[in-house]
Amino acid sequence: MIAVSIEDLGWKYSGRKNFAIEHVNLEIEEDTFTSILGPNEHGKTTLVSCIKGLIPQSFHGVWRGKVEVFGKDVRNQSAQALADEIGFVFADPEAQFTSMTVEEELVFGLENIGLPLHEVKDRLDWVTDIALIADLLDKSPYEISGGQKQRVAIASVLAMKPRIMILDEPTSMLDPLGKDFIFEILTNLKKEHSLTLIVVEHNIEQVAPLSDQIVLMYDGNIAKAGPPAQFFENSAFLYEHGINAPQATAFLDQLKSQNLYTGALPTDLKDAIQAATSLLKSKEPSES
Amino acid sequence: MITTEEKLIEISELAFEYPDGTLALRNINLDIYANQFVAFIGQNGAGKTTLAKCINGLLKPNSGYVRIEGLDTRERGTTKKIVTKVGYVFQNPDHQLFNNTIYKEIAYGPRNLGLDEKDVDERVKEAAQVCGVEEDLLKEHPFFLTKGLRQRVAIASILAMRPRTIIVDEPTTGQDLRQSLEVMNFLSNLWQQEGHTIVIITHEMPIVAQYAQRVVVLGQGQILKDGSTREIFSEPDLLAKTFVKPPQITRLAQALNEYGIPKNILSVPEMVVAFNEAREKNLGNQTSQKGS
Amino acid sequence: MRFGKISRAFYTQLLIDMEQTIQTSAPPKQRKMRRTLLGTVPVVSPLYALHPVTRLFTLLFLGVVSLFILTPEINILLIILIFVYLKWAKVDISGLRIYLPLTVTVAIFMFTVSTIFPGAKPEYHPFKLLGITFYLEVFFFTFASYWRLMAMLFGTIQYFSTNRERDTLVAIRTLKAPFVVTYFFSLALRSSGMFLEDMRTIREAERARGLDESSISLRDRAKLYAMYMIPLFTLAIRRTDEISNALFARGYTPSGKIEKGGKRGDYILTLYPIRNIDIILITLMVIVFIAIAFLQIRYGIFSMENSPLYQLLLSRLS
Repeated sequence: MIAVSIEDLGWKYSGRKNFAIEHVNLEIEEDTFTSILGPNEHGKTTLVSCIKGLIPQSFHGVWRGKVEVFGKDVRNQSAQALADEIGFVFADPEAQFTSMTVEEELVFGLENIGLPLHEVKDRLDWVTDIALIADLLDKSPYEISGGQKQRVAIASVLAMKPRIMILDEPTSMLDPLGKDFIFEILTNLKKEHSLTLIVVEHNIEQVAPLSDQIVLMYDGNIAKAGPPAQFFENSAFLYEHGINAPQATAFLDQLKSQNLYTGALPTDLKDAIQAATSLLKSKEPSES
Repeated sequence: MITTEEKLIEISELAFEYPDGTLALRNINLDIYANQFVAFIGQNGAGKTTLAKCINGLLKPNSGYVRIEGLDTRERGTTKKIVTKVGYVFQNPDHQLFNNTIYKEIAYGPRNLGLDEKDVDERVKEAAQVCGVEEDLLKEHPFFLTKGLRQRVAIASILAMRPRTIIVDEPTTGQDLRQSLEVMNFLSNLWQQEGHTIVIITHEMPIVAQYAQRVVVLGQGQILKDGSTREIFSEPDLLAKTFVKPPQITRLAQALNEYGIPKNILSVPEMVVAFNEAREKNLGNQTSQKGS
Repeated sequence: MRFGKISRAFYTQLLIDMEQTIQTSAPPKQRKMRRTLLGTVPVVSPLYALHPVTRLFTLLFLGVVSLFILTPEINILLIILIFVYLKWAKVDISGLRIYLPLTVTVAIFMFTVSTIFPGAKPEYHPFKLLGITFYLEVFFFTFASYWRLMAMLFGTIQYFSTNRERDTLVAIRTLKAPFVVTYFFSLALRSSGMFLEDMRTIREAERARGLDESSISLRDRAKLYAMYMIPLFTLAIRRTDEISNALFARGYTPSGKIEKGGKRGDYILTLYPIRNIDIILITLMVIVFIAIAFLQIRYGIFSMENSPLYQLLLSRLS
């Protein structure tokens, strides 16, 4: 089933001269992992905000085209209805934490959507387990780190059991350990839960191995979209459009242009090691 | 590190504890020289920012000392003097910008130092030029600029005080590829062309691999290792103690070390060269083995 | 399934290892108290067995009852009892030192003003000290007022030394304040926290620009605070957008109404059962409060004239 269907989408923020995004067409299948890459201010956040319905509800401007989530137009739905279906995690862990303890933060969304009281405890247990925050329930925002706050943000949105989760640069303000935690949670979410994940990221190395589809936003348009192996071909094109392939992938791409390697470009370090090892051992250009 | 340059910053037996009792730094011994590009790396809470703040005098040592070009930070009334020797650029430029024109913003530091208007004007124009802030932008209000430009204005306002050492906290966090390269190339230029010592605090190892000359690894308030970039990245186990991983290409090289690829590869082009060499050698061995 | 479980176990262990390394570097003293917006509260306390609404009543009781008590002996006794109570509640008394400058400043101010402007009436009893003429009634009134003020101050301080923001929020929700009010209050608290953090960082950034606060005049220091406002407001404006987007993403509506119908639940409230002891204590506080108010208004039992010390001094001067 198609989770998100975007047709000729355009959005211009009021007060700006140009459209932030224009003529965007995209389809996202249910239970897939889509990552959105691209330089800053080129439309990534605008795009995902339109999917969530943040645009046009919280912003003034000009809308063109259509965005449907599971067949329903996002513009006609209220904040509550949207929160039920689509979760959204922002980049800044601080501003997202609007309560005085972790437990209150998690429960807030659940109460907003009217979850019956007897179900709240179970939902809390479930979500704190996934987000690895079970021991933080009583803590206040001054007592936890940025990475922990970000996990709370993911948990508080996941608790509402949306069918789609959008994460807008979830790791940009975190240290490497914090980043690892988030990607670990995303890996588990992808493997064990039926959820459509859409992640905007600069950390291409960690997001590429998880992706079923990668979308490159440049200058308000989709410059390239496709499955990872295909996406990372032609690194010159990617560089011109402001992104780099993961280093290991770029390396194998180089070998490809030297005709040493003819297989699909791996996005995972493990796969890259395997490909390189077999190349080192055999005389023939390997396929992997 | 062996260098003939002048010692700018001398830190001896530095220990620092926060008022609430958290021990942030202990036993720190570090010398920073002129014309160096240093990166402080380590997990959050390891003490990177605390150390940087001790260096620029924002925090005073509980024991040990920090001497900046001979000036001890524990002495009273040294704030103004330190600021002309060590500049500190905060991560979020919004924390630093508070004047209503860029000119006033860059002029703030020199004016604070009591310089006369002619000198102030000269310094503003100089700093703006080095930072690529065009003259006609000087009368604009900082609030409406892009983040990249605000960051450069923040750096310019520090440069206007002409410190020899500049500490930049997370220069590339949250930035895209192009913006990161822009700011890092700019800092690299300040180092190589203008002769400043640059200290960056960062989590992005590919940036460290590409730009830093020297790396100080901090973990649990102590210096775990201090050495050249290549040295540091060839010790993944040490880095793991402070939850840091070498760049992906370095890890690839390390995984293939048994085939003759060196452990201290820092970039993709280097890897390609090393790989081709290693492959030729390996296959050469194979053929000679088959032959004999 | 297995992969997820194994890696989760790994990361949980990692979490534990990390926490241990951070904890071992902090001396035990730190872990007895935890931070709140206004200061610190104890991590464990026998007081926490009481429902937050009971503790809120102590604020209303101890912070206000002295309004009706002008007899300084009683107010001083009350303050001593508050300190004993705080010690029992495991509050770090030495942390209350920060209020000392305030108490001294207020004392100096009050006594200076009353000495310069005695507003003496002819029937007042004068006495001389260090060459200055004081009047017993004026002096003692200031003395009694001062202790009344201190009792109310410490009655308020005790609440904020033993309650976190969450406790206050639970208390006002227990009293059935409307959702709009309680949520606004909660958001205000959180925003204040962010504001204070930003303030701290901005002051550091200014110091890094060569600003030496201790070396500038008082007038310039006032100008300084005006200067801090600019980045604070820039940040606040940016944060407002971010916060409102975050609320939208959690399905927040200002009224708190549920679209599907039905009442909005309050899970956190269910974690705090009201016990008999709470009802007894609240009733006691309300009764004593009303009794004191009544006795003072009707019969003036707690007025200045009924103070034994006053009577003693009066007899000496007559």
